Amino acid sequence: MKLLFKLAIKNLTGAGLRTWLNVIVLSFSFLIIIWHKGLLNGWDRQARNDMVNWETGTGQFWQSSYDPFDPFSLTDAHSQIPSVFDTLITKGEIAPVLITQGTIYPGGRIQSILIKGISSDQRVLKLPGELFLKSNDDLPVLLGSKMARDNGLKTGDVTTIRWRDVHGTFDANEMKVIGIFDTNVPSVDAGQIWVPLDRLQKMMGMPGEATILVCGNFDTNGRTPEGWKFKSSEELLKTVTDIIKMKSAGGIVLYIILMSLAMLAIFDTQVLSIFRRQKEIGTYIALGMTRSQVVGLFTLEGSLNSVLAALLAAVYGIPLLALQATKGMSFAGTAKSYGLVVADKIFPVYSLGLVATTIILIMLTTTIVSYLPSRRIAKMKPTEALRGKLQ
Amino acid sequence: MENSTLISIESLKKHFPTSGGRFTALNGIDLKIGKAEFTGVVGPSGSGKTTLLNIIGSLDSPSEGRAMVLGLSISDLNVKQAALLRRTRLGFIFQSYNLLPVYTVFENVELPLLLLKLNESQRRKMVMDSLEWLGLTDKVKSKPAQLSGGECQRVAIARAMVKRPEIVLADEPTANLDAANSHNILKTMVRLNSEFQTTFIFATHDDKVISYLKRKISLVDGKVEKDEITGN
Repeated sequence: MKLLFKLAIKNLTGAGLRTWLNVIVLSFSFLIIIWHKGLLNGWDRQARNDMVNWETGTGQFWQSSYDPFDPFSLTDAHSQIPSVFDTLITKGEIAPVLITQGTIYPGGRIQSILIKGISSDQRVLKLPGELFLKSNDDLPVLLGSKMARDNGLKTGDVTTIRWRDVHGTFDANEMKVIGIFDTNVPSVDAGQIWVPLDRLQKMMGMPGEATILVCGNFDTNGRTPEGWKFKSSEELLKTVTDIIKMKSAGGIVLYIILMSLAMLAIFDTQVLSIFRRQKEIGTYIALGMTRSQVVGLFTLEGSLNSVLAALLAAVYGIPLLALQATKGMSFAGTAKSYGLVVADKIFPVYSLGLVATTIILIMLTTTIVSYLPSRRIAKMKPTEALRGKLQ
Repeated sequence: MENSTLISIESLKKHFPTSGGRFTALNGIDLKIGKAEFTGVVGPSGSGKTTLLNIIGSLDSPSEGRAMVLGLSISDLNVKQAALLRRTRLGFIFQSYNLLPVYTVFENVELPLLLLKLNESQRRKMVMDSLEWLGLTDKVKSKPAQLSGGECQRVAIARAMVKRPEIVLADEPTANLDAANSHNILKTMVRLNSEFQTTFIFATHDDKVISYLKRKISLVDGKVEKDEITGN
């Protein structure tokens, strides 16, 4: 094997430009696959962090009637906040949220919204509830930047808001925008406004009630109060997990195209090598190599392309990937407008597992692609090969 | 087999399948070749010279009859045994040199020793000795493309001789060389034959080669027509 390795290296380096073209193409494949996967990993990590920080917390208790995909469930989806959580709520470890439907009239247009009440002293979510404490307005509200932009609202604007209370009676008031927050999580921004929890409870006639309880970093110990259901972090993040999985699956098409290009180049080179180097093959056999050794030599030569490509990719790829991991990649104003959780900048995450898997995958594919044409050697007659006769 | 007999061939036949049936390249050859012979198998194209050399070199196998080479029956050798025979005891010289283009002269000559798994110092000494016999010590770092035809064939002879084989099989070794280079090469081989007692077997129809042979075996249509000692 050592001998074959030595000969293969010699033959590869001796082949000059042909080898380097293969190696360069293959190194691109290495780099782009790792970069793309790293970007998805970075997005996944950032999206999960943002979702946890802005919306889901580490888990949520839902009032048993609550169904986020059914707005009509909101009429009944409210209960008294269980007293077992009083201490945790006081400490800011649980953020109760009361949700109801409403309508606002910015610039005279009608706009259906969700009104969400949140405590001003919660510390579970990044929502800037503390701004409520600085306001003396009757109905102060916070908006996400997308919601503000879509409705032409800015800090200090006043507009009419209408809702139905617990008895189904319509009521209306003037709300004042006291702050606009910027978030990467559209589901706490688009089509909703945030008001002080106690104010919303009063508006709705639901004192001490909430629709969901967002948990911070504490162990629920499996305690689920009656009339409530617990949703784990994984369940709550399923949507984003599914999107990332879908994107990863879509990425496979890209990998297949890249790998096909690289493998086609290697396959071609191998076929050409075997065609052009028949005399050499015959000579190896005449000098005492078995045909299977020659097959091994040619396969090794082909698969060493991937080793050289990995080394080359490391030379220019590590600085490039490291730079990107530090500086991030801008996605400002693109996917977020489609409702995806995307930061303005995504910082790719390259794990050892990702790099190792990519290298193993490419090396394995290269070896198989190198072996397939090399099998022809086993069928060659050495006497014909020595004369370079086509077979 | 006599002690000095290295090759013993009896009733050797070789057929090749063709579209119309089969072509008989060798048709009942009987031969014995001894140690340190400088023998040529001569004859026109298609007479079976190269086929005979290929069978002796274990690159091909007989269809009928028996070919014993260095005590081994070529028909009975499996792939690995045949490779071992070629690797350890036979040397080959080809018409078109068959040097590996990406290797230097030194590396080309070293290749048979790498296959024998000799250590580096042994290999270096044997390669340099071989290159010295052939007057190529100033070309060690050259690649085949930088050499003349005569030099390439000398490198091929050095590669064949480097492991000091018992038999060297040379198929039309001067076919691509001019007269001066041919004589030069042949003189070198005569010298190596007498110095190392290596058996040389040529397949040729070149008069220059024939003039150096000590024994001439004439093949016509796959049969030995004449087997004569030339007295060189």
